[in-house]
Amino acid sequence: MELIKYPRYVDESKCIACNACAEKCPKKVPSEYDTGLAKRKAIYVPYAQAVPLKYCVDPETCIYILKKRCGACVKKCPTGAVDLEQQEETVALNVGSVILTAGFQPFDPSQFDSYGYAKHPNVVTSMEMERILSASGPTGGHLVRPSDDKEPQKIAWFQCVGSRDLNRCDNSYCSSVCCMYAIKEAVVAKEHAGDGLDCAIFYMDMRTHGKDFERFYDNAREKQGVRFISSRVHTIDPVPNSDDLELRYVDENGDIQKEVFDMVVLSIGLETSAQQRALAKKLGIKLSDNHFCQTATFDPVATSRKGIYVSGAFQGPKDIPQSVIDASAAASAAGEILADARGSQTKAKEIVPETDIIGQRPRIGVFVCKCGINIAGVVDVPAVADYAKTLPYVEYATDNLYSCSQDTQDNMVEIIKKEKLNRIVVAACTPKTHEPLFQESMINAGLNKYLFEMANIRNQDSWVHKNNPELATQKAMDLVRMAVSKVALKEALKESELKINQTAMVVGGGVAGMAAAQSLAQQGYETHIIEKSDHLGGQALNIYKTTSGEDVRSKVKDLIKAIDQDKRVHTHLNTTIAAVDGFVGNFKSTLANADGEYSLEHGVVVMATGGSAFEPDEYEYGNDPRIVTSLQLDKMMMAKDPSLASLQSAVFIQCVGSREPQRPYCSRVCCTHSVHNALELKKLNPDMPIYILHRDVRTYGERELLYKEAREAGVIFIRYELDNKPQVAIKNGAITVNVIDHILGRPLELETDLLTLASAVLPNKANDLAQFFKVPINDDGFFVERHAKLGPVEFATDGVFLCGIAHYPKPLDESIAQGKAAASRAVTLLARKTLHTSGEVAETNPMWCSSCGVCVSICPYSAPTFTEEGPFTGKAQINPVLCKGCGLCVASCRSGAIHLKGFDNDQIFAQIFSLDEAVR
Amino acid sequence: MLEYNDKIREISKKILKECKVDLVIGFRKGSVPMMNEPHVVKNPDDVDKLIWDSHCGINLANYLTERKEKVGIIAKGCDSRNIAVHIIENKIDRDQLYIIGVPCQGMVDKRQITAKFSGEIQSIIEKGDTITVSGNGFEEKLSKTDVLQKNCAVCTHRNPVVYDELAGDLVEEQRGVDRYEDVRAVEAMDSEAKWQYFDEILAPCIRCYACRNACPLCYCPTCFVDESRPQWVGKSIDPTDTRTFHFLRAYHCAGRCTDCGACERACPVGINMRVFTKKLEKDCKDLFDWEAGLTIDVRPPLDIYRPEDPDEFIK
Amino acid sequence: MSDWEPKIVSFLCNWCSYGAADLAGVGRMEYPPNIRVIRIPCAGRMSAKFFLAALRQGADGVWVSG
Repeated sequence: MELIKYPRYVDESKCIACNACAEKCPKKVPSEYDTGLAKRKAIYVPYAQAVPLKYCVDPETCIYILKKRCGACVKKCPTGAVDLEQQEETVALNVGSVILTAGFQPFDPSQFDSYGYAKHPNVVTSMEMERILSASGPTGGHLVRPSDDKEPQKIAWFQCVGSRDLNRCDNSYCSSVCCMYAIKEAVVAKEHAGDGLDCAIFYMDMRTHGKDFERFYDNAREKQGVRFISSRVHTIDPVPNSDDLELRYVDENGDIQKEVFDMVVLSIGLETSAQQRALAKKLGIKLSDNHFCQTATFDPVATSRKGIYVSGAFQGPKDIPQSVIDASAAASAAGEILADARGSQTKAKEIVPETDIIGQRPRIGVFVCKCGINIAGVVDVPAVADYAKTLPYVEYATDNLYSCSQDTQDNMVEIIKKEKLNRIVVAACTPKTHEPLFQESMINAGLNKYLFEMANIRNQDSWVHKNNPELATQKAMDLVRMAVSKVALKEALKESELKINQTAMVVGGGVAGMAAAQSLAQQGYETHIIEKSDHLGGQALNIYKTTSGEDVRSKVKDLIKAIDQDKRVHTHLNTTIAAVDGFVGNFKSTLANADGEYSLEHGVVVMATGGSAFEPDEYEYGNDPRIVTSLQLDKMMMAKDPSLASLQSAVFIQCVGSREPQRPYCSRVCCTHSVHNALELKKLNPDMPIYILHRDVRTYGERELLYKEAREAGVIFIRYELDNKPQVAIKNGAITVNVIDHILGRPLELETDLLTLASAVLPNKANDLAQFFKVPINDDGFFVERHAKLGPVEFATDGVFLCGIAHYPKPLDESIAQGKAAASRAVTLLARKTLHTSGEVAETNPMWCSSCGVCVSICPYSAPTFTEEGPFTGKAQINPVLCKGCGLCVASCRSGAIHLKGFDNDQIFAQIFSLDEAVR
Repeated sequence: MLEYNDKIREISKKILKECKVDLVIGFRKGSVPMMNEPHVVKNPDDVDKLIWDSHCGINLANYLTERKEKVGIIAKGCDSRNIAVHIIENKIDRDQLYIIGVPCQGMVDKRQITAKFSGEIQSIIEKGDTITVSGNGFEEKLSKTDVLQKNCAVCTHRNPVVYDELAGDLVEEQRGVDRYEDVRAVEAMDSEAKWQYFDEILAPCIRCYACRNACPLCYCPTCFVDESRPQWVGKSIDPTDTRTFHFLRAYHCAGRCTDCGACERACPVGINMRVFTKKLEKDCKDLFDWEAGLTIDVRPPLDIYRPEDPDEFIK
Repeated sequence: MSDWEPKIVSFLCNWCSYGAADLAGVGRMEYPPNIRVIRIPCAGRMSAKFFLAALRQGADGVWVSG
């Protein structure tokens, strides 16, 4: 494929992000990142966290590029990185697969006249609100409104702006993320401004269907006092002679209310841009009617063109965890078709033998960097280098123009060898970005890379104290002194290597587990599925059709067949796990079946333990065969039950067992399931009256179209409140449902011959497994992933992954994507074949250990355990493979028996003790 | 409380004879009044040396660490709570123990009684709530309630928490006691007053470590005050070092201290170091609804992370 | 007293606050130069003994962030 690489006008290999160019650039333009609320220059970094941290030129505003005048940045750049003559290049790549992560564009609300977004400065979008609330934003996180910088007293959020709307725009789908971000913004706004701030969210349905989102919603409403008003506001009227805004809306009692707000935030939706659509066309992939990339339930990241995969909001509006899951799943899908090519382009590195420094007196070398003028413009660098020479054990000190340049690095290697230095301090930028680079040079000089320390005299000194050169120089000297005293105590640390068993184990043979197993096998790894029942398939076998009409059973059977035929997948039915030994790369599980126990060695494990349907304990469930759960209705449909077509009416009750105090989460799938089943019933008999009694209809994303279709088909939706639930009675052989109509405020009595209860999704109990693999379970019984947003398919414990309903209730496509994603994350470990531990890990001294077990209890990574044999039986030991070097155990150890290499007590103390004049 | 004696001896004899335990840890009469000594009985015929009265304030849990034998132990409320802490912290196995629980009505404060008399106290006789103190030329009756150890006066866990057998009927727990009046008084001080208060109460400290040695929680093979690399704290009686010692020791007891009073009782110069441990005890109660030693199944709050841990202080 | 500036020692978590302090530099934010940062691998590494040692050295304030 051919790529067009647009010119950056800055040579990335030379730019050191010193900001000299932007300082001189005369052209100020609105910053896209700050949504126009602040300015940037024509040469700029889009935002402070940008990777790589390199500047670029905006050709549409640069005076030189437009008019061939100026060029101040070229003159000012200390490294000669700016090249305004750079041209567009075409890059040819030979690839086996393409993954599209084109993202979305936020909806532009200027087209809505009645909101006056373009006219009223205090009507802002949610994206603008994000910047106003951000500590790094244009107001430094101080909540003020744009028109007059006044601190607002009342803020309103409007939901569904550019979503669920065919009147004023063409986006009939739900954008899925806006309810949650609006609540978050309201809560953050209250945190910034204090409880006095009034936040009101105007919504149609609150859709907090993500993991732990419902709790956040409950807290915002009940504890933080955010107001939620079920109303769609038509018009914003400016209040004359002020910057305030008046809203008129119909409240839940049907009365018209008038309320004045200081600001209105439009919760804008997600849509596919024209550019993204053009890309799809160029690549020849199909988009849905809503311009999102078309995918299938059982192949959720594959586009219509083979080898091209998609992830993120380009596939449909979705939040961060789901995007991250998709991304891993897409990587897995690409890995499956490219398995043979894995590792074919890697090169081996040359190894320089390491000098043994044990017994040597410290000989410290200090390199103080000028970073062009970045440091030297403020700090007196030669004076700092001279000062370093006076410090104990410092044998060599010098300054460099650019410590990170290749020639300086080569020079450093020579100096280390020539001066026989055995410890190095670099006073320069920050270890966060440059430590590995300097350590590389140490390795090349034959020194252990842990005999190193950096003094941060740029990011945390010259850059932040530019008006105080004297004190900045003093601070640099202090930091160098502290680094020198620490590095003198540093030791050469060893990184051990450990083989990773190339076999994977998947616990649970449902759809998620099978998807994970299939992907692992297709990427070349022997995989064992452990299933406690006598068949594969799990809950999916109880589901009738997907929302797009695919027959689930036959699709699942295809998947089972594929699993059965794959020689690398070994299925263990009627089998449970009795015990687990070992850790990442080297697990040994004891499996049990009717014939006894046997063991399985594996390198990774995927938890796909699934869930089941809650058995309702209300609404007369169990007292009449016509009162069924959603899955029971599916069963009737699968069996083509003739009674369905002749029903007089059907009623669905939502949130049965979900969003209740004892189970305060949304089961995510039930709204769509009921709406879909209602439509299936309408297909059988279009005249059948159907009522869905709900609390909010949560047909998120493109599922919203089903909701619309159902309304058009005549399905009647009635909202009820938790404190006024429907009443079901069986009277004279008839089922009656009483509910208060939310619009009329009147009680309704519905007589029905089919009452479907949309019952909650429960996780399967997996407490034993959680203990075996040392992974946590939350109050609702779901596993707790490493990070709710960024680590949704793995645990904090290395080598253990999760997918499917064990994580949270989810529909089939999301379960399959997560299964593939878990496989992808597992492969990142397996493909390495060996594990390298960090040298900076904790270690116990058993002579000092009192066996109290605090470390074992407190470590989030399960690294400490009690020694089971030998002279130190009962004392704690730390597995360096699992240790992340956080030092939690070290600080918690009362007995002082744990040492953290690289950040040991005496090393930190050395820094504290050498603060000296810095604090006197 | 005296009526426990027979029962304690009976149980001890039985469990030693039946080889349920290798030894029984209890008290014997001390050589001076009000100073009972911990005593280990190994022979069933020696159980008559074991006694129980209102001078058994030493916390016997202190004698359990690193024991390999099967141990019988006599435990009042606080001892039993410290035994529970020991079990959680792997100091001893529940299976190794036969706990003879003693419902307690408080131990008397030797210092308070001594201070009431100018002459040497030669004998103390206890009957119900009445304590008859006599010496050369004087004899006086005191109410035990008036001379309780300070921790016993505000104790709300007089009955043993874990035990195998009881030496007497459970007693009624004290209700409506204000456990933290002293702590609140310190909390209410401004920084300067607080500093002065700390300075004053710690001024007499001679760094003898009697408090540490009497405390069942202080079982580390090497105490931080004895470490030299790094040297956490100086060895002198410099006020900063003394403060460091007391503050850090208190932190090490957070969520584990049962306010048994052994530290204060052991102090030769009468320092009220319980005010530090009690502050942390109060915090654990307020923040985590936790009292140490009431269970052998849950680790103290500072040993574990839970999502619902309070975090309002992070703002 | 008006010229008095407290000397502050801070212990910053490598993964968040230390990075944030770096970002403050990238953003050229200015703050007074009376703070000395000690990088720790996690705020969980922080020991009460470090506070006391820093205060004892003469620091007027200790700031832990992570």
